[in-house]
Amino acid sequence: MDQELKQSFPVDWVEDNYVSRREFFKFLTLASGGLAAGSVGMAVFSSINRGRISFEPAMIANVSDVPVGGSLQFSYPRPQDLCVLIQPKAGEYVAYSRRCTHLSCPVEYQPEHERLYCPCHNGAFSLTDGQVLQGPPPRPLPKVLLEVRGAEIYALGVSHQEVKEG
Amino acid sequence: MKSVEEARHEQRSATFIGLLLFNLMLVLIQIWLCFGVVENLVDGKPAMAVPAAIGSLVCFGVNVWMYFGVVRLEKERL
Ligand code: FES
Repeated sequence: MDQELKQSFPVDWVEDNYVSRREFFKFLTLASGGLAAGSVGMAVFSSINRGRISFEPAMIANVSDVPVGGSLQFSYPRPQDLCVLIQPKAGEYVAYSRRCTHLSCPVEYQPEHERLYCPCHNGAFSLTDGQVLQGPPPRPLPKVLLEVRGAEIYALGVSHQEVKEG
Repeated sequence: MKSVEEARHEQRSATFIGLLLFNLMLVLIQIWLCFGVVENLVDGKPAMAVPAAIGSLVCFGVNVWMYFGVVRLEKERL
């Protein structure tokens, strides 16, 4: 029975699974084409997106919305750019992007440690300047520039800070 | 003593393996470029995307050129 089956369907697995050097070369070249197409796609995507971000001043909260030691979420400059506004001391406001500079998890404010914490890989950022305190994030958090106008708080722009040495 | 045909075959084989390794190296460079661009984009810095795309296209061009070279090499053998 087994012999009969083999004769009717003469499949040679070794030969069937054999990949010639030329096929492998072709596969690598195709992979290279895919990567090149991906890179071009990302370049096009980034240049389309670049012109769209505008840092118009925007009212983000009322002074009374954020208690001392409390925080408030807002979006700036685009609706998908989540940020957090914090009042660590009375009359002192700071705001940062909530997107962790490691792999983009949202960071959260920890008033008891006076820091912004990323639960994904245990990263933490300073409340005073957004610098990395611990964990894998390679860069500080982007800081939102603020201005208090009367009873309203305005976001004026976003500053991408450099890593402080030492 | 090797025959001329054997020597040629060995030479072709060595050339092929050399090209294959070079191809692999270019693909690894492209992967590295891709990761670099993604990391920069996530960080809101798109400046690297265009040079990386040009670099990646050059690598692809070289790979295609080598592939046709390999096809020619194989044809010569037949
Ligand atoms: S994503 Fe924030 S530490 Fe990894």
